Amino acid sequence: MTEQNSIPPVSLAPPPAPADAHESRRVHRAVVVFLVVVLTIAALVFFTHLKPLQPSRMQTAAEFRGKPAPDFALTDLSGKTVHLSDYRGKAVVLNFWATWCPPCVREIPTLVEMQKQYGPQGLEIVGVAMDDDATPASIGRFAREANINYTLLIGSDKVSDLYGGVEALPTTFYIDRDGRMVERVFGAGERSDIEDNVKKALAAAGAGAQQVEHGASN
Amino acid sequence: MRNFFFLLLAATLLLGAAPLLRAQGPDISILPIDPVKVSPGKASSFTVTFRINPGYHINSNKPYSDLLIATQLKLFPPTEFMISGITYPPGEEMSLPAMPEERLSVYSGTVTLTGQLHAARNASRGTFRVHGSLVYQACSDRQCFPPKTAPLAIDVKVSAAPKPR
Repeated sequence: MTEQNSIPPVSLAPPPAPADAHESRRVHRAVVVFLVVVLTIAALVFFTHLKPLQPSRMQTAAEFRGKPAPDFALTDLSGKTVHLSDYRGKAVVLNFWATWCPPCVREIPTLVEMQKQYGPQGLEIVGVAMDDDATPASIGRFAREANINYTLLIGSDKVSDLYGGVEALPTTFYIDRDGRMVERVFGAGERSDIEDNVKKALAAAGAGAQQVEHGASN
Repeated sequence: MRNFFFLLLAATLLLGAAPLLRAQGPDISILPIDPVKVSPGKASSFTVTFRINPGYHINSNKPYSDLLIATQLKLFPPTEFMISGITYPPGEEMSLPAMPEERLSVYSGTVTLTGQLHAARNASRGTFRVHGSLVYQACSDRQCFPPKTAPLAIDVKVSAAPKPR
């Protein structure tokens, strides 16, 4: 053992005076009080922020499932008024979209294909155009270029509100033959997901025995 | 006591940051705009910078399709002023993962626009405000959001031109 190792460690700091210890406790207490206040404010901000964020999204898909799809009246490209209830007995894919929305446009070929494949089994795809300045002529031009083979309607904020305030496009509701919502999908879906939901809507029980319930109609 | 202190601190930081993380919607924030100093009969440049929330993009001023909604700065100056030469940066090229063949011209992150503000020869001295707005339409990879108009204002100070020596 060296001489150095035998020397006991010596603290150069002076021992804490009783007054310092008291001061330290006071500082600690102040910090804790401060943090509690900040925590309370943060919690308040957190919970108030939950509300304004897209109210429709706060409703989960589970809350929509099985609920009657609200009926509406919208104009199609020929100027005819179309009600959702006109499609009773059919499964409906209600697709909110806009021409300025690339993910919506991306979905169109799949929807065209679904209409072709499942139309004979009772599927009706209904596109609701949400362009602000949509007219039957402008949407018709687009539809011809995109070879759309399903019904297109000119959308309105009122109908969007009926469906929980459609804020993001595309938003698609899959409705069974009884007029009940089977699924709601935000954003462009993959072909396989769209087809699965179409099959679900077509297979749902009831097969048109009941009418589409009239929600807050037009 | 020390453990309690750190737990409290961690909870505070987590809860405090949560609203900020949740608030990241398809929006932009316009950064404070420097006031413009101009003399009567002269022009000065101005810049408008805005930030697009991560995960979203907006169309550039020259999107590749007429159907898409271009980003546009609109300014409404008082009669003694005129705006010219609004310059938009070129868009970044991107394509959606599911549409690799379709190119889009977009802005993301921080974007700066510039322009010139001209004061008429008879412009009164003083401080003025030019009101305007930024029109944009945001999307993520899978969804798009309706076009929005974000209001903005540029403060203008008109002072006498320095006398030539």
